[in-house]
Order: sequence, then C-alpha cells, then structure tokens
Amino acid sequence: MVIFRKNKFVYKLYAWLPILFLLFSVLNEFDLNYLTIEYFSFNFPFVLIFYFTLKEYNRFDYLLVFIAGLVNDTVIGTPLGLSSFSYIFVCIFSVYLRNITIRPNLIKDWFYFLFVITLINSINYLILFFFFSYDLNIMFYVINNLFTFLLYIPMSLIFNNYLKTIND
Amino acid sequence: MASSRDDFVIAFRSAFLKKENKQKFSLFTLLFISILIIILSSLNFKIIKDLKSIISEAVYRTSFIVSVPENFLINSYLKVAEYSNFYEDYKKNKEELKNFQSKEILNEIIISENNELKKLIEDFTFTRNKILAKVIVDHDSPFSKTLIINKGSKDGLKIGTNIYDENYLIGRVIETNFKTSRVLLLSDLNSNVPISISPGDVQAIVVGDGTESGKIKYIKDNLIEDIQDQSIAYTSGTGGVFRSGAPVGRVSINQDEFSINFYSNFSQLKYVLVEIENSNSLSTTDNDQKEIVLDDTESVKIKLLNDQIDILNDSNKKFLEENTELASQNKNLLIQNNKLENRIKKQTTEINQNKLDQEEFEFLKLNLLYSAKCQKSVFKKGYEVGTPEYKNCILKKGRE
Repeated sequence: MVIFRKNKFVYKLYAWLPILFLLFSVLNEFDLNYLTIEYFSFNFPFVLIFYFTLKEYNRFDYLLVFIAGLVNDTVIGTPLGLSSFSYIFVCIFSVYLRNITIRPNLIKDWFYFLFVITLINSINYLILFFFFSYDLNIMFYVINNLFTFLLYIPMSLIFNNYLKTIND
Repeated sequence: MASSRDDFVIAFRSAFLKKENKQKFSLFTLLFISILIIILSSLNFKIIKDLKSIISEAVYRTSFIVSVPENFLINSYLKVAEYSNFYEDYKKNKEELKNFQSKEILNEIIISENNELKKLIEDFTFTRNKILAKVIVDHDSPFSKTLIINKGSKDGLKIGTNIYDENYLIGRVIETNFKTSRVLLLSDLNSNVPISISPGDVQAIVVGDGTESGKIKYIKDNLIEDIQDQSIAYTSGTGGVFRSGAPVGRVSINQDEFSINFYSNFSQLKYVLVEIENSNSLSTTDNDQKEIVLDDTESVKIKLLNDQIDILNDSNKKFLEENTELASQNKNLLIQNNKLENRIKKQTTEINQNKLDQEEFEFLKLNLLYSAKCQKSVFKKGYEVGTPEYKNCILKKGRE
C-alpha cells in the first residue's frame, strides 16, 4: 500500500475496485458462458454485493448497486428494476446478517448466502413467470444457484486478501 | 423470548431503514424505487420505456467497449483453433463449392420463376432491402438468448423485423431504440416460429429450447410419420410475423422427440442482415411494362440455362479426363496383379516342396532307429521295405 499512497489516483482506483468490478461484470455479463459447458453459469454480482455489504466496505455505495441492477436489466433484457430489486434485497439480507452477528464465521455466512440467493432467484422466477409471462427453464436457475453458492468461498478468500491490502 | 424478538426488530429496522455511513439512500428507499419501476414496466408506462431507451443507448455502447478485451481473448482462441483445422476445412470447402456452384444456378432459376409467379398472383410486391448490422452485445446468457445490433428505429427497424445470417433466419426484433435494437434469437425459450417441413409439407411450430437448438411442437398426430430425419425446415409465413420460405434448419429425430438444428451458429454472429420491407405497388393496367418484365425474366432464364449448359459441359470434360486416367491406372494395376499372382504361385510350390523334403528327412532319421522293429524277416513278423505300411510303422516308431 506504500506504493499506492504515493500515487493517490492509483490508490483511489484500487479502493473503488469492487464497485468498478460490479459495473464491469454487469456490462459484460461475466459468467463464462462462452465456455459452452452445458447449464454452467453463475451470478458473480450476487457474490460481490453480499460479501462487500457484509464487510461494511464504505466505498460500496448502495445507489451504485441499484444503478448496476438497472444496467444489468438493460443488458440481459429483463424488465427494468428486477435486478436492482434483487441486488438491494441481497444488501438488506447481508446488512441484517452483519447486525445480528457477533463472531463472523465464513461457513455460516456461506450457508446464509445460499438461503439468500435461493430466495431471490425464486422471487425473480415468480415475478418473470407470473407478471411478465416469460418462459423460463427452472433448471438453469437451480444450477446457477448452485454454482454461485460454490463460488462464494474462493471469491471470499480473494476479497479477504483485497480488504487486507486496503487496510494495511 | 421478548428480547430475542426485540433484537430481530432492531436488526431488521437497522438493515432496512438506517442510512449507513457515506450512503446517500437507505436500502428501503432503493427497494421501494425498484419495486415501483418493476410495477410501472409491467404496466408498460411510457416514462419507463423512455428511461429504458435512454439507458439502453448508453449501456449497449459501453457494454460493447467493455466486452472488447473478453471478445479479443475468445476470438484469438477461435482463430487459433481455426488455423489448426485450416487445411481440412479448405478441402471440405472446395468440395462444397463445386456442389454449390451448380445448385446456385438452379436456385436463381427458381427465384426468377418465383418472382414471376408472385407478380401473377398479386398486384403488388414487397421489395426487401437487407441492410447489414453489427452485433454489439452478445453475452449468450442461459436465461435469455438475445443480442443487440447497431441499427434502430432510425434505420427503419420495427418490432417484428426479421433478422438473417446470410439467408438463414435467426430471429426477430423485440425492442427498438433510436440506434440500437434487441433481437430475440430462435433458440430463446420465448421464440415461436411457424414452419413448414419439407418433404411432406408438414406445418409445425418451432420453439427455442434455451440452448442452441429448437423443439418442434404442435404437429398433428397423423402427420408425425411424414417427418424424416434431416428434413428441411423453413418459415411458413403463417401469422405474418416471419416471411415465408426463409430456411431455418434441419430436423433431427431422437427417439420420439423432434428437434431443429439451426443452420446458423448463434454464438458466432458478428454481423447480421436486417430485412426492411418497402411496399411498392405495381400498375396492373400497364400491360407493356408487364411484358417487358416478362421478357426480361425470359432472357434471364435463357442466360442462366446457358450458364448451366456451360457448367455441365465443363464437368463432362473433367469426367472424361478422369475416366481416361482411371482406365490407364486400372491397366497398370492389372499387370501388377498378374505379376504378384505368379510370384505367389512360385512361392507356394517351393513351400510344398520344402514340406515334402522335411517329411522325407524325418522318415529317414526314424528308419535308422526303428527299421529293425518294422522290417519283415524269417523269424519276425513285419512289413516289406518300401510299402506304405512299413513307412507308417517307422513313423509310429515301431509296430503296435
């Protein structure tokens, strides 16, 4: 971090990295679909939002999360506001967990994350199916949920290291 | 119990309503706004449509730029893979080109006949302009199979405009902005296309399966047997959303399921063709003009037939040359064959001779040892020397 502090611009850029990465991932639909592994997909924004809200990272602005949701809806073509709703919902659950937790535990967070994403994906599915008459394959949602859940541990280890370098 | 409920309420209120450090809005406010936007978009409010259109214009361009590094990596990988198969592809393409050249002539004749017939049954025609559009966003999401192109309402695109990859139908426009549009691909779960299956002229509807192919649905039970594997599916034009006669894909039959393998690979689209329709009425009273059109068609047909004759003559000449070459090759092979047969015969005789020699040698060896046992004498029963029984006795190493 010594190098960063010498260069304020680079430090700022580094500090805003989570939100930049969130915007990058929603603009680019970062889910490695081009690997054409059948059914393989994950929701990277969910992991990112859940983790950084849980850690109360002060540069993780909810308004920007909301805007990222609007961008995501525009890119993937879902009704406007649906992804924002999901992202804010993740934030709410994450803040709630932070408020009730005295001793943070990665495994507990992990399973709580599974509960949150399952709930949100179910709500998403129901909204799209009943209010917007979308034909959806529930299998895609189930597998997306599973891979997002599995991704949480490796990503949280990377994010932990990132936060350590910021706090140093 | 009461205190745990209080804790829950406090934590919940804090999560929902409290504006945290450096946060401009509480989560409750943002949640409320997003629900409001969802409700308004379900009711098709104009404000939301305009807002979406504005965001789309900005986001699609940004998304295109942001996707550049990732697309570069994917394209580089694909290019490397393409180079490794270059020679095999070249050979295949050469073969295909030959076939296509002759088919193209036939197609042009059919097209010209088709146009002529259309003019006879209708007093107007649709001139279809296809404009090229670039795919600016293609993220291949598992939930929705759509892509964004850089042509919008400014270029005459409307909801329902047909989109092609060369001559193959790939989808239709479902959302237009000023300079961009969203295309729903045939593989999307929400895509339904009325098709005709040839041979058999079976009418059906192809529905996207969310991956890279489509499923055939709504066929009358008595017509199922008419569908064959690898039959051609093209749009029937029923419903008026898709124009008729656009090729869609080939039928594939797996057990009792009918699916369509689309001609176009949707994950590899860089440019697409957008069909914009302009209605031009033709005057039915102007017979002279009609005759001129028919004369033109006739001359085009004659020209095409002449071209076809030239091609057939060329191919005939090539076949004759190939034939002569093959005949000389055949002659050479026959000579070689005879030589080899003679050689085999000679070798077989030598082998047989060798076998006989070996048997003789064995007999002589045993004869030295066992002749006393087998030979007939005054005092002993046996066989006369030189008889087959004597030989047999020697080979059996004495009498039994």
